[in-house]
Amino acid sequence: MLSSLEIHKLIVIRYSFITLLLLLASFVVQQFLPAFTGFYQSRILLVLLVFLCAAVTVGQPTMLMLAFVGGFFWDAHCGIGPHGGDPEVYTQQVESLRFGYSILLFAAMGLLMQGIQPLFRRGKWQFSAYLSGVAIFLYLAAEYAIINFVRGDFVLSKATLMQMLFTSLLTMLFSPFIFWLLFRIAKLCQHSINPDAGRRRQHAHRNQ
Amino acid sequence: MKPLNLTALLLFLGGVVWAFTLSDRAVREVQDFYFSAVSPFLKSGSQMETRARNFLTETRHSKEVEVELGAIRTELGRLHIIESRYRDLEIENGRLRHALNYKKNTHFDVVPAQVIRRQPTTWWQTVDIDAGQSSGIGTQLAVLSNEGLVGKIDRIYGGQNRSSVLLLTDEKCQVSARVEGSTEVGILSGQRGRFDGSPLLRLRFLSADAKLQPGQRVFTTGRGGIFQPNIPLGTIDSVKKGALDSEALVRPSVNFSDLSTVFVVIAGDS
Repeated sequence: MLSSLEIHKLIVIRYSFITLLLLLASFVVQQFLPAFTGFYQSRILLVLLVFLCAAVTVGQPTMLMLAFVGGFFWDAHCGIGPHGGDPEVYTQQVESLRFGYSILLFAAMGLLMQGIQPLFRRGKWQFSAYLSGVAIFLYLAAEYAIINFVRGDFVLSKATLMQMLFTSLLTMLFSPFIFWLLFRIAKLCQHSINPDAGRRRQHAHRNQ
Repeated sequence: MKPLNLTALLLFLGGVVWAFTLSDRAVREVQDFYFSAVSPFLKSGSQMETRARNFLTETRHSKEVEVELGAIRTELGRLHIIESRYRDLEIENGRLRHALNYKKNTHFDVVPAQVIRRQPTTWWQTVDIDAGQSSGIGTQLAVLSNEGLVGKIDRIYGGQNRSSVLLLTDEKCQVSARVEGSTEVGILSGQRGRFDGSPLLRLRFLSADAKLQPGQRVFTTGRGGIFQPNIPLGTIDSVKKGALDSEALVRPSVNFSDLSTVFVVIAGDS
C-alpha cells in the first residue's frame, strides 16, 4: 500500500511528465506560427511561453529539466550553419551563437518566473501572466545583446526594439490560455498547482 | 539548499557543459534528429495548406483562369522558341570554347523551387524552399531569382524535400563583390536589425579613395568558392569614406519582400 507522500510524488511526476510533453508539442505548433510582417516581423514565441508558464507551476528540479530540454531543442530549431567558403577571401567571418546558450537563458527566465511563485500559489496567476511578457522581452534583449557581443558593433535600431516589444506583447496575450491548459492538466492529474489558493478558499468557506 | 535541488542544479550544469562542447557535426546531427521528428507534422501541415490553396484556386472565376491560361500558353510558346535558340547558342559556344582550348565548364544547372515559409526564426534572415536533398541540393549552393542573387543554402532538412536559404540581407551571408566600371572589390553582406521591405546591404573593405557613383551596378566576383561570377547583387546607393577603407550601401536587385520562385544553382561556372 502506498503512503500519501508516495502518492503525492507520483502525481507530481505525472504532472511534470505531461508538462514536458506539452513543451515538446509546442515545438511542433511553433513551426506553423509565421512572423507578422506588419508588426516589425514580430511573432508568437509559443515554446518560450509554454516553458515560462510551466516553470511557475513546478519545482526547481523540474524547471531546470524543462529549461534544458526547451533550450536544447530551441537551439536545434534556430541554429544556422557554418559560414563556408574560402577563408582567404572571407577573412572576417561573422560569428554564430554557440549551441546551448538558450539553455542558460531559458533557466534564467525560469528562475525569474519562480520568483513570484508564492503569488501564483495563492491563486494570483495574473501576475505570472504579466511577468511572462516581461520575461520574454528580457529573453529577446539578452539574446540580441549576446549577438552584438559576439559579432561586435552594438547596433540597436527602432525596428529591432519594436520587434522585441511586439513579440513580447503578442506572446503574453496567449498566456491565460496556457495557464488554463496547465490548470486542466493539473486537474486531470489530481494535482494542485496553486495549493495555497485551495486552502484559502477552504478557510473562507469554513468561516462562512 | 535541498539535496534534490542541488543534485538537479549539478545535473543541469553538467548538461549545459555537454551541450556547449558539442562539435559542429554533433550539432548538425541534433538538428537532423529534431527536423526528422517534426517532419511528419510539417508534411501534414503542408498537405493541408496545398489542399486549401487548391480549393481557393478552383473557386476562382473560370473566365479569369481561361484568359490567364491563354496568356501562359502564348508565353510558353515564346519561351520554347527562346530556349531552343539558347540551346543552339550554348552548343555553338561550347564548340568554339573547345576549339579555343577553353577548359572552362559552360554547364549551368539550376533547380527551381518555391518559397514555402518566410522568416522561421527571430533573428536570422532565412526562408524555406520546397526542394532538398532529393532534388540534388546540398548546403552552400547559390540561390538566385530572375532579378539576381537571393542567398545560399544553409541547411537541408533531413527526411523531407525542403531546405533553408540564408538570405543576402542577413549579416552572416557574405559575398565577394565587384563594382561595375571600377576596380573596386569588397565583401557584401546584410545589416544587423534591418529587415524592413527593402533593406540596404553593406559593401565593405573598398579602397579608401574609391570613386563610386550612386547607381553603379554590383556583381559577384566568383571568388570564395560559393557564388558564381557576374550574378547581379544590386546598385550603389551611397558611399561612406573612411581613413583606411570605404564602405558603400547597396540597394539589392532582388525584392526580398516578394520572393516566390527561386533557382538553386547545382552546377555552374566558377
